[in-house]
Amino acid sequence: MKKQGTSFAFRGKYLFLVVSIFYAVLFVVNSETALAGLQKSSAVLLKILPIIAVVILFTALLNYFMQPRQIANHLGRESGAMVWLWALAAGVISHGPMYAWYPMLDDLRSHGMRDGLIVVFFASRAIKVPLLPMMVDYFGWAFTLVLSFYLLTGALVQGWLLEFLERKELFR
Amino acid sequence: MKKDPMQNMKHKPSDRRPSFGKVLQKSSLSFFGMAPLLLGVIGLVGLFQVLVTPKMLASLFRGNPLADTLIGTLIGATAAGNPVVSYLLGGELLAQGISLYAVTAFLLSWVTLGFIQLPAEVEVFGGRFTLYRNILAFVFTMLIAVLTTLTLQVFS
Repeated sequence: MKKQGTSFAFRGKYLFLVVSIFYAVLFVVNSETALAGLQKSSAVLLKILPIIAVVILFTALLNYFMQPRQIANHLGRESGAMVWLWALAAGVISHGPMYAWYPMLDDLRSHGMRDGLIVVFFASRAIKVPLLPMMVDYFGWAFTLVLSFYLLTGALVQGWLLEFLERKELFR
Repeated sequence: MKKDPMQNMKHKPSDRRPSFGKVLQKSSLSFFGMAPLLLGVIGLVGLFQVLVTPKMLASLFRGNPLADTLIGTLIGATAAGNPVVSYLLGGELLAQGISLYAVTAFLLSWVTLGFIQLPAEVEVFGGRFTLYRNILAFVFTMLIAVLTTLTLQVFS
């Protein structure tokens, strides 16, 4: 699945092909809607380009300063309790859509990062630090605090549960 | 002929750190390899935003708190866009009398669940991981929505 060394392969070719065919058909049937869809997609792409640039840089820095063995030690099965809190913090401060982070997480996973941490990262992304004032404004302090507490606790429990489920299946 | 083990130790390739430029190039190439995947998802997001408006989705609520929590979770998971939109819409839904259970579930699933990105998630992380993660996220979204609302009711 994972490309190593010099081998290179595109991923998601079929998804891209299906979406392209859908757009082509829509162009024939209703070109206005297809154009509007393309405009929306371009706007999304432009918006996440800086995030992708940051994620590429971050992945490169991680790979530069940490050898695969070190990544496995810090984020793998032998990692301690603190790494769960780091995953939680990383999820909270991460920006952009979830799929912008897939390549970095895929890279870390191929170096031994445990799946539970990925789940914690995704689950804690519901808290967006820059958007907290807006949430307080719309829903109040009490709601924001209670929701954040349950969200962070729930993210950790989800991570542990995923590993439990994976272990159960492993020993079946 | 047997090789000298010491020679191997002296020249272990893993000990040699590649230049940052090379590592950056490798990371960029890895992202480039995922370009069709990301573009496919972005294409779907654009289509969805044009064909299905958030207001269209909001009209699906029924007024039953329990059913609305489930509907809120499903709508949030189906919708695509910036979380700011979910706050705006969530505030609007509350003003229209939709229960806090449903609105909380809607806000959470908007960010943590995504039907549109499921094909990409399966491609990157595999089917089993994607299934487990999404089931857990779905169950916890509803659980957290109920717990948050109940806690607020107890303390208000």
